[in-house]
Parts: sequence; structure tokens; C-alpha cells
Amino acid sequence: MPTLKINGQSYFSDSPPDTPLLWVIREELRLTGTRFGCGLGLCGSCTVHLNGQAVRSCMVKVGEVGTAAITTIEGLHPEHAHPVQKAWVNLQVPQCGYCQSGQIMQAAALLTQNPDPSDQQIVEGMNGNLCRCATYPRIVGAVRAAAKMMKEANNA
Amino acid sequence: MPETTMQGVTRRDFLVRSAAMAGGAFLSIGVGPNLVAGRAEAAAAATPSYTPSIWFTLTPDGTTTMHIVKAEMGQHIGTAFAQIIADELEVPWDKVKLDMPLESVENFAIYGLAYTVNSGSVTTEFDRIARAGALGRIALTEAGCKLLGAKLADCYADQGRVIDKASGRSIGYGEILQQVKLERKFSYPDEFKQVKLKDRSQYKIIGKSVPALDIPMKTNGQAKYGMDVFLPGMAYGSLVPPRTRYASKVLSIDDSAAKKIPGFLKAVKIGDSIGKCTGWVVALAETFPAAVKAAKALKIEADPGPYGQLSLAGIMEEFSSLADQPQESAAWVLEGDVDKALPASDKTVQAEYTSDMVCHATMEPFNCVVQHAEDDSWHVHIGTQSTSFARMTLTAYLSKVLNRKPEELKIYVHQYLLGGGFGGKQDYDDILAAAYCVKELGRPVKLIQTRESQFATSFPRTPTFHRLKAGLKNGQLDAMNHDIVCGWMGPRFAVGKQFNNGTDWLQLDSVDGKNADIDQWSIGGSDHWYHVPNHRVRAWNSDRTTWAVQASALRTVSNSYNMFVVESFIDECAHAAGRDPLEFRLAMLNGQGGNRGIPNTGYPPGTGSDYYMDQLWISLPWPQEGSWIPYESGTVGGALRLANCLRVAAGKAGWGARKLPPNTALGLAVSSAEERQSPTWVAGVAEVTVDPGTGRYRINKLTIAMDMGIAINPDNVRAQIMGSALWGAGQVLSERLTYKDGAIEQTNFHEYLPIRQVDVPEFDITLIESGRHPVGVGEPASTVVAPAVANAIYNAVGARVRHMPITPQAVLEALQNRKA
Repeated sequence: MPTLKINGQSYFSDSPPDTPLLWVIREELRLTGTRFGCGLGLCGSCTVHLNGQAVRSCMVKVGEVGTAAITTIEGLHPEHAHPVQKAWVNLQVPQCGYCQSGQIMQAAALLTQNPDPSDQQIVEGMNGNLCRCATYPRIVGAVRAAAKMMKEANNA
Repeated sequence: MPETTMQGVTRRDFLVRSAAMAGGAFLSIGVGPNLVAGRAEAAAAATPSYTPSIWFTLTPDGTTTMHIVKAEMGQHIGTAFAQIIADELEVPWDKVKLDMPLESVENFAIYGLAYTVNSGSVTTEFDRIARAGALGRIALTEAGCKLLGAKLADCYADQGRVIDKASGRSIGYGEILQQVKLERKFSYPDEFKQVKLKDRSQYKIIGKSVPALDIPMKTNGQAKYGMDVFLPGMAYGSLVPPRTRYASKVLSIDDSAAKKIPGFLKAVKIGDSIGKCTGWVVALAETFPAAVKAAKALKIEADPGPYGQLSLAGIMEEFSSLADQPQESAAWVLEGDVDKALPASDKTVQAEYTSDMVCHATMEPFNCVVQHAEDDSWHVHIGTQSTSFARMTLTAYLSKVLNRKPEELKIYVHQYLLGGGFGGKQDYDDILAAAYCVKELGRPVKLIQTRESQFATSFPRTPTFHRLKAGLKNGQLDAMNHDIVCGWMGPRFAVGKQFNNGTDWLQLDSVDGKNADIDQWSIGGSDHWYHVPNHRVRAWNSDRTTWAVQASALRTVSNSYNMFVVESFIDECAHAAGRDPLEFRLAMLNGQGGNRGIPNTGYPPGTGSDYYMDQLWISLPWPQEGSWIPYESGTVGGALRLANCLRVAAGKAGWGARKLPPNTALGLAVSSAEERQSPTWVAGVAEVTVDPGTGRYRINKLTIAMDMGIAINPDNVRAQIMGSALWGAGQVLSERLTYKDGAIEQTNFHEYLPIRQVDVPEFDITLIESGRHPVGVGEPASTVVAPAVANAIYNAVGARVRHMPITPQAVLEALQNRKA
């Protein structure tokens, strides 16, 4: 029975090792903020962090995770106030909202790797995340705003 | 149009009955939890709450809970409605909450049809919810005034308090409810008619970009969609993609391999007794991954049925041959005499246009949880565009499957957020299949479509075929004939919904005296607002196509192809006449005749569809009397408002003035989606750069101007315009569904290509607040993008592509044709 480290807590999973991590997270452990979109890593709705890196949880087998730290949208920030989340609210990014957990997790990982991305780098970094409501322009704006917020916090 | 019926009760009957149930008058106090059984109301009912209308409940803590019957699918409609009500009711915005009433036979009688389509929510509900808010304010002001011992003339309401001007004293709404039982009732329709609504200058919340109430939960994982429901003992279902899109028959199921998968429960061949879920087999298991594995392991033998040999090429062949048979057509628009005018013209222009199938591909695939409870009631948990139709369709289905009378079935539909709708979440096959599995298994079932089964069972927009002919006289468009062949969705949509006996839902009469039906949702948009003295639109239905591909409504329905065709062709005519496409359009957008718009709703007889808004908008939850329609029609101003949008967009884009790089040009388009009776006026200009070597093109910039009357929440209006315009961009750039041997070929997002970040252009959006009745903004901008892009491509390199989507290959071919 594998033990998973998710959002700083330990979880036990009964699922066979070849089960996609996505389904363990959302259906077995009921952290439902991680969404199912395509099952082939094509849309980004299921994006979570594995040791801080953005991964498509539909493409990761639960048996391969080992002791890696998993972060889901629920655990991105204890008060749901990560700069990316704040920027998402400030700029009123979500429409239907279904893809936005994945967008936010992708953006947060992008900013960890590159705290000062150009617009072009934001577009390329977010291109794997589909949004059928096409909130794309606001996503770019919000990533930019979050980067600014993080920079200011570091300088303070 | 006949009265719509539900289980043999006419609409008028149940509306009157609902008024009686609510206490004899529309506005009354103490509507109990049995009548408004939403999630918050039951708790609220224990306290002396005040529910003066079906749309909101005030509680003694000063909170106002808005009951939102519309589906929340990205348009933030709950926020818009709450802004409208809160403004007239005079409640503070930070004390506003939302809930979504449960769908049941009882609540249907109160709320009416819960159905969210046509960008119609604000258009149709604004006036009545504003009036309900105002009447609530009056009742509270009277009660507060009495408690203050003041004169009514000295009292007014402001931000949840009743204030006495004379003494300066005030009392909060919550305190009023703690102290008195409100008895105030209002007569319908007199007091509704008489209540004076605020002037725009008095608005405090309407017109403000308040943050949408449903956004924070969509950034932290707390938002709940249908898939986020868990019930004790629940099993999971995964659908095996059927052999054909429709009408295949399962002959045998071999589950020997599936049986080896731990957690596999059984394979269920879904009953198709109402012509839904044909050829469906669902694998049930203890977990979803096990169900998916089992579904893949099942060996199913199927008879492909009548469409097993049919492919897109065959459909298009049938379309063009149908268009050769005018006797089979029905006329949608008939102005002047096209047959006389065309031969008398100086010059004729003719063209054939086509469009491919596309589908909704919502990020949230279809899913639902269905439970058959111990008290024999059925519960459906789902995010859907119509909880009412979901309930009615399941009622029709279960009554057959269980051999029970419809009225014996207690069915409740619990509404959740929708992970995208776009017209796609108004089909209910998944609910039927899940319910069938529940019957077979005796446990609650969560059915989740994989992306592969979702594409295989998607509800596409019909392919279309258009033949157009125009006659120019003195450089003006004197005659225009537009023939449209496609699959009509209306008849298919009606199945199981118990409307008009399931036969002619949304079918309108033709205007040619043939008394033929026409499906507005498949033909609308061709009835444009240009003044053309001789104008005819003829329509053909390919019923085979409708059923074979399961044609459906997709964002702006027929406008999404008809505006592409009409606006591309108008450009062709302008070029043939040697005139500037802007000036050519403006001259025809003169507001003459039927294009002047009309002060009340409706449509002048003989120019198209002579029916009235309240016959289409069947969601009216209060008794109708006479023909009083409280609000002015969105058509007021007519084509002149469209001309204004066009001038603004063209001006802002620098039409005719800007220096542009090589192979780059602007293209224009206007649209009045969604329907002739419910227009939102919009103009778009696309700036496009084409690579003549490869045919590839980039949309650099979209300039959009929209007149929505009043923007309830301007920031959200901008978001909706941007999102819908990008939807339109995806439609012209890359979205394409193909059909072969009766089945849809695409399986996932590597084959079906919605727009992504890299293709997003720059935007310049102008909201034109004309002060007219507010109208919907969630869809219309999507319709101007494809034609504006097509026209820009032509203006840039001379390639006229008459097919949507516009592929690089098609641009290259058009370039070669031009040279040839």
C-alpha cells in the first residue's frame, strides 16, 4: 500500500501501482480541485506539482511517485493566497473555472523556475494548458501580475 | 405556436397553479421550504426569512440569497442577476450570496423551465428581476417606516437600511425581519407594471465591475462540478465508444478479459428505448480507472446500423443535390421578388460555401452521479444547461425502462457548476445511461466520459452547404438569394423532453405559404439586417444528417456558420461592385423597412418568423396576461445600431487609414447574433498576415465593438467578448470534426484543435452602452471573427476561401485558383 505525501500530509492509497495519479488524488483521496480533461497529457487540467515541478497527473502512475512531494491546488498556499491565486482573482481570470486549477499550478511552477518571464515565455510556458473559455489573455496578464507581486515581496 | 406542455399540463395551467401555490399572488411571504427547496432555503426557512419572490430570500442576519435558476458555465450569470436584484432591492453587495434551486416537478411549477441558452438570460430576465427587487424594497421600506414611526414620504431605502429623512434614524432590513412578519403582497400584473424602476443614473451596482461571486472558489479547488460528488456505495461507469455515432446495435458482449480486472463489476448494455444511447455499453467497476480498463477489455460485436457506411463526403453530396430541388425547400426570408430581380440586375455574383462539423469539447467531459434512493426517488447530480430538460428526459426514459407512469416517478436534479457548456450540455444521454446502470446494479453510479468516448458521442454542429446568388444594380445589392442545406437540430432535441409531443419543438412556419416547418436554430443569422430590396433565404433539412451525426446547438447555433457565409459573400459583392466593403455595408445598414427594429418584441409578419419572444422564451415563471411584455425589444434601433458598431470598430482599427506590413490586411464583419428577435449588435475587424508561400496566416489583432445596451458588469463583458472572439478564432483556424463510416474520427486534443495561447491575437474591445435594454454578451462576438479573418485574407493576398475552417492548404489552393 503506497504512502503518498500530498500537501504536506501522508495519504495511503489502495490503488494498483499503474493507476494514474490523477484518479488517486481526485476520486480516492477526494482532493477534487485537480480536474480530468483528456487523460493523455494534452490539456493540462490535471496539473499538479511533483517536487515543485508541474506534471500532468493523468500521465504519472501512482507507483512511480515514491516519496516525491505532491502539491495540488488545495495545498498551493495554506490560505489560498499564493501570488498566482491572488492575481487570478484580481484579474478575474476564470470563466467556467474547470481548467483553472491546472493553469494556476502550471503558472506557479513556471514562476518558480523563471521569476521574471517575458510575455513570450509566459505564452510558451502556458501553451500546454487548454482553456475552452479562452481566458488566455487574462492568464498571461495574471502571470505577469503574480511575477510582479513576488518580486515586490522579495524586495520588501 | 401551440402551448408548450409538460405531462399534459399547459404552460398557462401550471403558471396559474404555481401562483396559487405561492399564496394567490405572485409576491407573498413565507414560501416554505417545500416550495423553494434549494440548498440554502431549507435552513433559511427556520428563521423569519422573507422570500417576496422566487428570485431571492432575505434573512434576519441581513443576508440576501439570490436563487439562480440559470446554469453557471463561465458567464458569471449569478453575479449579473445578483447585481440587478441587489441594486433595485437596495441591499449591500457584501451581504449577497447565491444558490441554485433544486429541479423537481414542484419547483418547475414555481421557477419555470430552468434552461440556459441563446445568450438570453440577461435579455429575458433583466426587467422582471429588477421589478421583483424594486417591489421587495418597497415592502421593506413600508415595514421599516412603520417601525420607525415615520412618514412614508420621508423614508427611503439605501444599502440594506430604511432611512427616515426627517429624523435621520434608520433601521436595517435584518432588524425589520427580526421584529415583524412581512405581509405585503403585490398584485400581478398591475403593481408590477406600475413599479418605477431606477433610472440608469441611480444605479449603484449595475454597471459596476464587481468581482464575480463564483471566481474565488475557482482558484483554490473548492468549486464543485458534477464530478465532485461522492455517494455511499457508489460505483463507477466508463462508456465504451460505440461503433457508430448513432443507431448501432450491440449484438454481443464478451467480458472474459474484463473479468480479470480487479474491481470490475459488470458490463451493461444500455437500453435505447427512446432512441438515446444507441449502441452504448458501460463498464461498471469499483473505481474509475478499473472501469476504464474494463471498458477497453470488453469485446463488443455491433451492427453498425443505417449510418454505418455514411461519411462526410456522402453527406456533402446529398446536400448539393438537395439544393438542386427548390420544391423541397421552405422559405425563411421572402422580400420582394428575387426571381424577377436577378435577371434584371447589372451584374450577378454567385458562390458556394461550406462549413465543417465542430463540437463543444468542453474541458469538463460529460459526467453525472445518479442515485435511486430508498424512498424510490431518483437523484441526478450534474452540471447541465437545463436541469428541467434533464428531469423531463429522464422521466420519459425511466417510465419506459421501468414500465411506470411518468407521474409516479420522483426525480430530482441537483445543479452544479458546468466546466463549459457552449450549447453542448443540453443533451442527457449520460444521465439516462447512468440511471440504467443504477437500475442494473442497485447502487449509485458515477459515469465519467473519457475524452475518447466524449468525442465519439459528441453532439456536433451540422456540416452545411450554401449556394448564394446576388444581383447588383447601380453598384447596390438589389437581390440576394441564399440557399442553406444542413441537418436541423430541433426535431432531435425534442426527443424525451415532452414538449409539443416531441415533434416540432423550435420549428417555425415558413413564409412561403407552404406551411412548412423551419428550424430557426439551424437557419437563423441568414435573416441579416442589410437592406436588400429582393431577399430570399431557402432552407433544406437533411434529416438523415441530423440523426447520423446527432446535430446540435453550438455557441450562437446557426450564426456560427451563417455569419461566416453572409459576411464573406457581402464582401465578395462589395468587391464585385468595385466598392469599399465598409462603405458598401454602411449604405445597406440604413434601418429601412423591417430593419428598423421594433419598439416591443416580436417580428413584423411576413418578413421572417412572426412569433413573439414569450413563445420562445418559455422560462417565464409568472402568469402571463394579455400580450404585456415589460421590456423593450433588443431590436430597437435596428440596423442603425449595427452600423454604429461597424463605424466604431472600423475607425478604431484604422480602416483605410493605417499603413500595414506586406501581405497584411484588415477584414470586416458584422453580426446580430443570436436571433433576429434577440440581437446583440457587434462588429469586428481582423488584422491578418498571410504567408503566400505556405498559406499559413496569423490573426494579429481583433478590434471588436459591441452594443449591448447596458453592460451589467463591464469587466465581465470584456472577458466574455474576448473569450467568445477567441472561440471564433479557433473555429476559423483549426477546429474540425470529421465523420467516416458512421463514426466521428477525432479522439482527443491531438486531433481536435481548439485555440491555444500561441495563437491569441492582440485585442481592442469597445463597449457601446446605448442605454437600451441590456442583452447577452457571452456568444455574439464569436460570430464576427471567421468572416473578418476570411475577408482579411482576401484583402491581403487575394485568396477567397469559401469553407470554414480556413486551412493553410485552402488558402494556397485559393491563391492558385486566382492565378489560374
